[in-house]
Amino acid sequence: MPLTRNRREFVRDLGISAAAMPFLLNLPGLAFANQAKRKQRIVFVFSPNGVVPKDFWPDEEGTNFKLKQILSPLEPFKKQVLTLHGVCDRIRGDGDGHMRGIGCLLTGIELYPGNVQGGSDTPAGWAKGISVDQEIKNHLQKDAATKTRFGSLEMGVMVPDRADTWTRWSYAGANKPITPIDDPYQMFNKLYGRVKDREALASVLDDIKDDLKKVGNNVGAADKKLLEEHAAFVRDMEKELKEQKNAVVGHAVPKMEPGIRKDNDNMPKISKAQIDLLVNSFHADFARVASYQITNSVGGARMKWLDINEGHHELSHEPDTNEKAQEKLVKINKWYCEQVAYLAKRLAETPEPGGSGSLLDNTLIVWTNELGKGNSHTMDNIPFVMVGGGLDFKMGRSLKYPKVAHNRLLMSLAHGFGHNVKTFGNPNHCAAGALTGLV
Amino acid sequence: MTSSLPKFGSALVAIVALASFSPAQEKSGETIYRQMCAKCHGAKGEGAKQYPQPLIGDKSLAQLAHVIDLTMPDGSPDMLNAAESKRVAEYVYDAFYSPNAQAKLNPPRVELSRLTVKQYRNSIADVIGSLRFPPKLDDKQGLRGEYFNARNLQPNKRQIDRTDAEVRFDFGKEAPKADIEPKEKFDPNTFCIRWDGSVWAPETGVYEFVVKTDHALRLWVNDNRKAVIDAWVKSGDGTEFKTNIFLLAGRAYPIKLEFSKAKQGVDDSKKNPNPPVKPAFISLNWKRPGRALEPVASRFLTPQKFPEVAVIEAPFPPDDRSFGWERGTTVSKEWEAATTEGALETAAYIVAKLQDLTGVQPGATDRVAKYKQFCKTFAERAFRRPLNAAEQSLFIDRQFEAAGDDAQLAVKRVVLIVLKSPRFLYPDANGAPEQYATASKLAFALWDSPPDKELLDAAGANKLGTREEVAKQADRMLSDPRAKAKLRDFLLTWLKLDQAKELPKDAKRFPGFDEALAADLRTSLELFLDDVVWSPTSDFRQMFLGDETYLNGRLAKFYGADLPPDAGFKKVKLEADKRAGVVTHPYVLSSLAYTGETSPIHRGVFVGRGLLGIGIKPPMEAFTPLVPELHPNLTTRERVLLQTKANACASCHTIMNPLGFSLEHFDAVGRYREKEKDKPVDASGGYDTRAGTTVKFTGAKELAKFLASSDETHYAFAQQAFHYFVKQPVRAYGLAKPEELRKTFADNGLSMRKLIVEIATTGALAKTEAKPPAK
Repeated sequence: MPLTRNRREFVRDLGISAAAMPFLLNLPGLAFANQAKRKQRIVFVFSPNGVVPKDFWPDEEGTNFKLKQILSPLEPFKKQVLTLHGVCDRIRGDGDGHMRGIGCLLTGIELYPGNVQGGSDTPAGWAKGISVDQEIKNHLQKDAATKTRFGSLEMGVMVPDRADTWTRWSYAGANKPITPIDDPYQMFNKLYGRVKDREALASVLDDIKDDLKKVGNNVGAADKKLLEEHAAFVRDMEKELKEQKNAVVGHAVPKMEPGIRKDNDNMPKISKAQIDLLVNSFHADFARVASYQITNSVGGARMKWLDINEGHHELSHEPDTNEKAQEKLVKINKWYCEQVAYLAKRLAETPEPGGSGSLLDNTLIVWTNELGKGNSHTMDNIPFVMVGGGLDFKMGRSLKYPKVAHNRLLMSLAHGFGHNVKTFGNPNHCAAGALTGLV
Repeated sequence: MTSSLPKFGSALVAIVALASFSPAQEKSGETIYRQMCAKCHGAKGEGAKQYPQPLIGDKSLAQLAHVIDLTMPDGSPDMLNAAESKRVAEYVYDAFYSPNAQAKLNPPRVELSRLTVKQYRNSIADVIGSLRFPPKLDDKQGLRGEYFNARNLQPNKRQIDRTDAEVRFDFGKEAPKADIEPKEKFDPNTFCIRWDGSVWAPETGVYEFVVKTDHALRLWVNDNRKAVIDAWVKSGDGTEFKTNIFLLAGRAYPIKLEFSKAKQGVDDSKKNPNPPVKPAFISLNWKRPGRALEPVASRFLTPQKFPEVAVIEAPFPPDDRSFGWERGTTVSKEWEAATTEGALETAAYIVAKLQDLTGVQPGATDRVAKYKQFCKTFAERAFRRPLNAAEQSLFIDRQFEAAGDDAQLAVKRVVLIVLKSPRFLYPDANGAPEQYATASKLAFALWDSPPDKELLDAAGANKLGTREEVAKQADRMLSDPRAKAKLRDFLLTWLKLDQAKELPKDAKRFPGFDEALAADLRTSLELFLDDVVWSPTSDFRQMFLGDETYLNGRLAKFYGADLPPDAGFKKVKLEADKRAGVVTHPYVLSSLAYTGETSPIHRGVFVGRGLLGIGIKPPMEAFTPLVPELHPNLTTRERVLLQTKANACASCHTIMNPLGFSLEHFDAVGRYREKEKDKPVDASGGYDTRAGTTVKFTGAKELAKFLASSDETHYAFAQQAFHYFVKQPVRAYGLAKPEELRKTFADNGLSMRKLIVEIATTGALAKTEAKPPAK
């Protein structure tokens, strides 16, 4: 019963006695103060339907490059940007291009045969393997020094309420897609529900103690003892709640703008709220891995706030010769880039708790897409744009690879966390090893 | 045991004494005890260094006198003649030995109890449940099945709408078959089915639901919004889909299963209009707690749609069962913390379902007023009585004020403070007006759950004051599924079979006796118990005399009855001339046996301790049974006699062994046998009653006949039932209460249902003194 499981999840660790210890240990200045190794984090950002390559990829190679229109919002962080041209998704098999595009993007492996019919290709099901974000999360959660409360957070913005191959990119394992949380209030509850519960509980404890006394006066001496024992336990709990009051989160619980509904026109607000929560979670060390999925593969956001009334997917099929459509697509992709830039900005503004530099210095954002280009459905030159210093990659560069399999990049990301996998996803695409030239 | 016995006994002693001795020589029982017994047994029977066990037990006076005469003083029983033994027995019996003597020394009282774990979970479920609207219970079984000739469940494509007894279909390459020719011809490539209704949980615990299909499915159980299994995307070749769900006994949970044999997503049917047809099957199965995997049988399914049940999963420390029944008379830090978790979990549940529960739209202007009303009803149901003005102010108004404009937070605070209040947690200390207190006790006795609306209304209307009124309500409440579940639980507890356990058996000697067969056997026993208790007379004797056994195809094959292999459970006369009721039920007999051999000792303890209520003490030390292979020429009976012939063993084993021996015609899996090791089975046995008579019987049928008619069995059953239902020591309601209950039971034709009504009524009407006078 997943609803119950969620309820259980956030009441389970209600700060009572030993249960609160792991969180106390996560506080800056306690467990990590004497730890030499820096915290490393990674965020995967997805936007759909391919890009407009001529307005996306830098022409130059190396450290001296210009950001084109779509990537222009990243200008303030240019020294921490790395663009990877020439990385190709080589996974084939069942499913249409969009399905494989999203389903194989982080898993690097084929889809199972199944009953989801896309366009004219063979029907397919879920991916056959774990996605790299979950692989890294599992690696970090295994070690007490890098284990966090959630390990990873799977966030979304306007992901349709249907579970199919087009709407999932993170997989806990073969046939185990993870549903992203695209409701900021649900995410807030997941992160802070426990604190709120504790506040509500603490506020009624005085009344409960009074009530116990009153009821105690109604019973005989022998029975009264039982109620007195009970009252002592309530007092213990009160004491523990007080001691933990400010200790658990490590920062003030953020205020949320109330009443943002899941609605196309609210997309900018939802996106901002989710990014704020994500940054807060990293600051509180709730997780070191996150994924951030804007809509879905074939996503049809209608960006009316940019004066674009057509859906994104529909526009993405327009030929290169339709200049108006291409202009709109550039604007749409630039908006996605602005989300990445806002995330980078928030991370850059936030000092690393108990460490040096900012959160951005210890976080790698990996922004990607299910297709290279919308109207050709090509899976060559999948957009991979990285921002931040989370892995020891040499940033501030534009790299061009000669059509390498994206499995090799996925391996590099795992290696960046010291998780030296020999292959990732379909091993046939891993023979050449992790991608060279990143570090 | 009977109150007339001691009087009769002492009169007899007096006559004998007058005839044999002069009055001057006669020492009183007390004097004899002080002079000859107290050294080893202690001045008040509390025991001493040499013999530390206290002299407490449940032998009758006659039995006690007999034992003393035969064995005491230790080593020189000749020092006391029969009359003197009897006198000392009388003294011992009344001073400290008998249960009533103990009760006089340490008066049992009705102790203040918190909710037990079961009662806590049930309370949450039913308090929230009382704010929902269940349909009126009917006795339909199975699930509604709607069949659609489309790849989605489009209403206009529905071709069949019927009730399916179970979900167990192998369509092969065909379309579903309809009784009436459907409007359209089904496309065998593309069809969908929805089964809808509710599922009954017969016991509390974790259920594993397993859907087997080679196509797409979605399953909802007790959550109408979120599927517990979502495999609507068919992916890979897996055909088994599972999930675990915790359910409470005696309640129906909404269930919906959707099946789709079709592609989902983009429609490409024009591209390939005539694809080769693939086969399709689907079945709905479960593993009940501690059971093997089996299809969900139609008796657990109903096409009626019941509302969701709030099942709280917060883990609680188990209740004290040291008295043989669950009691809530202690608290611990862990328990207190668990009530906090339970309250928070409930608050989260209610807030998440607030719209469903209150019918209030999030933006409605009268939202706060309606939430307040909802909270008041919630508090009243949780406290099992109306709130007074001070309580309304504390539990409701103050919480709303404190929460400011956050109405959801206000609801949360109310739920927390109500569920953490002692008025919720201690039903008998919450200051309820008398008739509400009666209602509460009655409901917890019968349901382990708070009163329903009808009962509360009766209390409010001053219609719960007399014994007749309470008994009438009890009678009504007994037919509720929750009472049925509790009654079945009690019967299984009475038979010491409340925990379903594995029955490993020697596969070489008993091929075919596997996990599935053992699960069927348990089902067979449960059906038998239900059958007897819910028969018109509910006659306790039929527990022992019933000569029909529930069998299905698998059991029939194993036990040699004539049924088709796939037959469902039916009542069958299985060796009716040899079998009788529970003592020969193969599940009982298999449980009381080793993997290969029977165990007359376990069977004897079961009959003696469990059914006759004798307080048999555990052996002085643990013994391993003699290994059969080392005694190849001995029957089981001979081996047991050999092992237990020592004096130290005899005092108990002379009681147990003959009881167990009478069941020796049934082997370790409960099959009838004439011979063991080529020797004819000796199933002769006997029992010395507390009334002082000796009963001899040969074979199970004669044993069963004795048990059915024995006062001792009736007495033990009534006393155990009282403890199980009321959860307080029966003698706290009067020293004569156990005997009164036995008599009422007998006077009512040994109707078990009437007994339970009597017990629940007695418990509900007993006044708990607010402040008992200081001793």
